[in-house]
Amino acid sequence: MPEVDFTVEVCGMAGDGTIAAGGLINEAMSLGGFSVLGFDSYPAEIRGFGRCVTNSRIGSNDIVALGEKTHALISLNDEQSRSRAPFLAEHSLVFFDSNPPAYVSEDNSLLSVLPPGEEVFGMPFGELAVGASGSSRGRNLTALGGFAAVTGTDPNLFRKVIRDKFKSKGEKVVNINVKSFDAGYQYALEKFSDRLKSVFPKIETGHDPQKVTLSGNQAIGMAAIDAGLKLYFGYPITPATPIMEYLAKYLPEHGGRVVQMEDEISSIGAVLGSFYAGARSMTATSGPGFALMTELITHGVMAEIPAVILDAQRGGPATGLPTKTEQSDLHAAVFGGPGDSARIVIAPTNVEECYHFVIRSFQLAEKYQTPVIVLTDFFLDNRVENRPFIRASEGQAASWNVFPDDAFKDRYQRYADTPSGISPRALPGMQGFNFTATGLEHTEKGSPDYSSENHAKMSEKRHRKIRYALKDLEKPAEFFVSDNLDVGVIGWGSTFGSVLEAVEKSRKNGFKVGALKITSLFPYHSETIKAFMAKSRRVLVPELNYEGQLANLIAHLDSKPVERLNFVTGAPIPPSAIQNRIEELLEVVA
Amino acid sequence: MKTPARILADQVNRIQKSGRFSPRSASLPTWCPGCGYFGIHQGLNDCISRLGLPLAEIVTVSGIGCAGRYPFFSNTYGLHTVHGRALPAATGVKLANPNLTVFAVGGDGDGLAIGGGHLPHIARRNIDVNYLLFDNSIYGLTKGQPSPSSPIGTKTKASPYGTVDKPLNATLMALSYGASFVARLFAGDPKGITEALIEGVRNPGFSFFHIYTTCVTFDKNFKTWTHLKEWTHALSQDYNPNDLRRAFNEVLNDDFSLGVIFKRDI
Repeated sequence: MPEVDFTVEVCGMAGDGTIAAGGLINEAMSLGGFSVLGFDSYPAEIRGFGRCVTNSRIGSNDIVALGEKTHALISLNDEQSRSRAPFLAEHSLVFFDSNPPAYVSEDNSLLSVLPPGEEVFGMPFGELAVGASGSSRGRNLTALGGFAAVTGTDPNLFRKVIRDKFKSKGEKVVNINVKSFDAGYQYALEKFSDRLKSVFPKIETGHDPQKVTLSGNQAIGMAAIDAGLKLYFGYPITPATPIMEYLAKYLPEHGGRVVQMEDEISSIGAVLGSFYAGARSMTATSGPGFALMTELITHGVMAEIPAVILDAQRGGPATGLPTKTEQSDLHAAVFGGPGDSARIVIAPTNVEECYHFVIRSFQLAEKYQTPVIVLTDFFLDNRVENRPFIRASEGQAASWNVFPDDAFKDRYQRYADTPSGISPRALPGMQGFNFTATGLEHTEKGSPDYSSENHAKMSEKRHRKIRYALKDLEKPAEFFVSDNLDVGVIGWGSTFGSVLEAVEKSRKNGFKVGALKITSLFPYHSETIKAFMAKSRRVLVPELNYEGQLANLIAHLDSKPVERLNFVTGAPIPPSAIQNRIEELLEVVA
Repeated sequence: MKTPARILADQVNRIQKSGRFSPRSASLPTWCPGCGYFGIHQGLNDCISRLGLPLAEIVTVSGIGCAGRYPFFSNTYGLHTVHGRALPAATGVKLANPNLTVFAVGGDGDGLAIGGGHLPHIARRNIDVNYLLFDNSIYGLTKGQPSPSSPIGTKTKASPYGTVDKPLNATLMALSYGASFVARLFAGDPKGITEALIEGVRNPGFSFFHIYTTCVTFDKNFKTWTHLKEWTHALSQDYNPNDLRRAFNEVLNDDFSLGVIFKRDI
């Protein structure tokens, strides 16, 4: 079978059903046995103002980054789709409404901006939908029918995912939608019979049942449930809100509760309160909300109370770009807040890791009795991947609480200075271990004490504990690493997929390039990172922030300067940009 | 020879001396001599003893201020959080383990200024937390600045020409926010505090205790012992705390009547 690497975009106005159509493409292709990575961008305004675009990259091999050139564009609104024309590959397939709704003005046609050589397929999306279902609302589905026919995709894949999507709304709705799809499919088969392609051949092995199509946000919500989350406290903020909505729907049936709090300060306050009393709880937010939480996060550090905080980063500072992606909260996550407040910061790089890292974050928080911050970003939260996905067993999600031994009853020291820095933690209700957790500097017993010796000793204890946590944190993973590299690329978070693809392509071009994936951002494995930097003649750190926040964090580990590649466009880094930079550096190295 | 009765008496004596079952912590309060908080401490400790609540199943949550130190002077579990955030933390504690009895304590700065945004929400969620607001109309721990309940014209080092902002009435606020139990009390009457607390702890929802108290160090003019003793008085004999309209009338007409102002019928 020829290798497939094909990118489809659906573009329309908010309200056109764009996101739904993109989602159906992801599901259908996943069902067909392909690898899929999808990403939607939508406007901050709800309807009638903004452009919606979904991007689905479909491949026969693993897909780790977004596609850069579009091979097929499905335009539900030409006025909006004109902006996508520059991203079209040569000879791409363009589907548009030949009889658009009245609200799309005539002088804004997509055709007038298309470069020559694109193959266009005009279909009366709305009329076909009216013919099939009596309503033009199914326009997006007739468009999908056209797409399936022209690309040679098995229509049963689409019929199945459309049925699944609408089955909760009853048989009638299911049939109407399948009919709309079929109307588009039949129309395109006949009308374009001489131009049909075979882009997506049938994969004989079919669908891998372990492959689940999931967004980062869904994976995070599932992880929280599988970890036995008892309480979720949150305040709505893009792009973290879908996590709260997911849990609000599914947590009650698993015995947990979602409480929408009055702000982010009370959310983290309640998370600390419930972990203090022994229940797993979490909150998810984005930069502006995270900033409000920092004081209480450092309270968790000082009073040694566990907490799980997910920061779904977006463009900043301040309100910034609510619906765009950025990795600019790293410094805030690692250093934010008053005092020497070392905490644990981890960052998944793909949807599968979102799931496993969130489960692990509860365990780390329990064992090390400190807030654990999970850094994701808009691109990671909203991207959809279909990778083999195995849910954690109860044992894998088991509690890592460290309780005091009964021998210490009535002479319990809550903040005992142990070699690891971990002091066994009692929970309210345990007889004979009563203590007061405090954000004041305190003795091992927990009484306020501002003496120099005590502050020095207890600061050391808290930092020793965080250093000790390294042994439970995932080590940086090396890709294509040999004894010496011309360029070593270090990546983190949602950006790592682009790093990996760029490195693979450079290697195919014959260059000695390797990659390092850092998922434990604080504390971090300085020895491993140092060794990787030492064997790389040049070190490149691509990031979605202005200054290079990870580069700032690790630059001191090696004497040669770290090359930074910083993007603040609100969009994921294209792999080609990293590849170009790698190859530029190689010219200098040579 | 020791009779069995004598042995038992000795044991009881030893246990009492050990303080193991006393809600009063071995650490002595750091409040100024003459502070009204001693009266509140007495009132709450007596409530715990009289209800026979196991100390390990009580959590006392506080924010920052002189009242914020309260958990250290109590033998219950304690959670001393940051400024203004006792109520969210108490919400988390109670929801995590509903078997615990949760007291939140704090001053008027902690509860009406920096933490003022949390009071309406814990009240409307009706979380079973017992919140004691120690209202002395002054910031004591930062050495005497006006608070949200200071009367207009309060002169302090931070307001040398007198304050111009209108004071907040915490009892009225709690009624407006829909608290299911509201009492107004006086630190000079620990027995009255105990009685109201016992009733409030039994209320299976948010209970608010607005406690007038003194700051003997930084307030020599307003909420002094002399003034509070003179001004405060019990609610009238025929007062019915189940009537919300009557409760509003009472609070609008009289700033100093003490007792259970409102109790929602269950």
